[in-house]
Amino acid sequence: MNAAARFIKMVTFWELLKGMAITSRFVAKPKVTELYPDVRPVLPYRTKGRLHVEIETCISCRMCEKACPEGCIKVFQPSKEVFKTDKRPVEFYISQEHCLHCGMCVDACPTGSIHHSQEFEMAIYNPDDLLFDKETLPYDLDIKRFRWNFIENVPVKK
Amino acid sequence: MDFATIMQYAGWPLIKIVILLIPVFTVVAYMVWFERRLLAFFQSRLGPNRVGPLGLIQPIADGLKLFLKEDLVPMNSRPFLFKIAPIFAFFPAFVGFAIVSWALPWVTPSGKVHPFVVADVDLGILFVLALSSLSIFGIILAGWSSGSKYPLFGSLRSASQMLAYEVPMTLSVVAVVLLAGSFRLSDIVAAQEKLGWYYLFPGILAFGVYLVSAVAESNRVPFDLPEGESEIIGFHTEYSGMRFAWYFVGEYANVTLISVLGTTMFLGGYDIPFVNDAALYAAHPELTSVLGVCAFAAKAALFAVFFIWIRATWPRYRYDQLLKIGWIVLLPIALANLVLVALLKLWLLR
Repeated sequence: MNAAARFIKMVTFWELLKGMAITSRFVAKPKVTELYPDVRPVLPYRTKGRLHVEIETCISCRMCEKACPEGCIKVFQPSKEVFKTDKRPVEFYISQEHCLHCGMCVDACPTGSIHHSQEFEMAIYNPDDLLFDKETLPYDLDIKRFRWNFIENVPVKK
Repeated sequence: MDFATIMQYAGWPLIKIVILLIPVFTVVAYMVWFERRLLAFFQSRLGPNRVGPLGLIQPIADGLKLFLKEDLVPMNSRPFLFKIAPIFAFFPAFVGFAIVSWALPWVTPSGKVHPFVVADVDLGILFVLALSSLSIFGIILAGWSSGSKYPLFGSLRSASQMLAYEVPMTLSVVAVVLLAGSFRLSDIVAAQEKLGWYYLFPGILAFGVYLVSAVAESNRVPFDLPEGESEIIGFHTEYSGMRFAWYFVGEYANVTLISVLGTTMFLGGYDIPFVNDAALYAAHPELTSVLGVCAFAAKAALFAVFFIWIRATWPRYRYDQLLKIGWIVLLPIALANLVLVALLKLWLLR
């Protein structure tokens, strides 16, 4: 019986056909390829993308500036008179050209004003454009997106 | 010589060749695309989908890219042989299409018969087999003239592989010829129609032998030792640009030709399945011809899908296993099958 079964398997190329049946299952399965420029991938929750800063809640303590290992953050405090009532920074610079996306400034911030976003498309022609200031750093609640270099009308992967 | 004679012997055949070669080139080009797409689907990828809709312009882009690349000739090669070697690989595969009969002949109202074939040769299959042996020259000349030992070894491997599989393939074809009683492809299809069975069933062993040796003849996985895209160095290592493209196109033309011949011999060619062709032909000759070409293409596509499927599934054979399969397994099966088919023909299918 066993020998007969083995013989039948040998004659009908059973193992080879079994392999073909297994590979044929993959034809209709969903593909793993990312269609990135056409369809935007869903990034993990803790993606360390471009830094963005909520200027409104920032208290100009300069903890992020001191924590930054690359020295790519520069915070300008307002004058002492103004600082008593309004603690928002006069100017806030982050050079994404040098940023390591290490997240130390995020850990250091006492108010949670600076944090990583999901934005990762920072390929540009002029490196000076990677110097972000007060205008380009925050997430704009009015238009519900970052103010810098955002590609529109790209569907997000389900 | 008057115009009509020139047209009869030079004009019409040339026009027929052009009409045949345009679809054949298109099919060969898109077979590369189809293989890449389908292979990708087997591997949970998407394949080339960037150039044009569904990546349909990809073959043209590939061709253009290869055409624009530098044509390198190695310093210690034999330049003349190096340059003509791709022609030997390229041309036999395309010439083989000349004898394939694509549909039932078209009869004009004045009673003239136009067969859908460039040259209805009496010894059609023999002609193709002779030509496919010629393509060994392309490989062995490429290996020898490259001036490098690795292509030489690749071409030697390839030559012995092709010799090993030429014999069982020819014997499996002989079985079909024995059943049909003719070497002419249109006669073979007509005999299958008359029998009512495709030769797949009386010649199932011949079909198996043909399939295996066809894969080996066209240097495809699992017998792709001459090239060994992933690790072994093959015979066309030193080729670049358009000359490499000729080998590539020749290989896919070979696959197409083998699919087409296998369809003609074992799957009934342009015979429309489950339909009485003769009755339909008497009623609507044009419709029968068109449907016949479609049926032919569909059956040949089955072969192509099968070839891609096994490429997606099976690993490569070792070299000694390859030759063992050719000489020790396939050759006795083909010979025994020849005797069986002869007896079948003698007693049952008279």
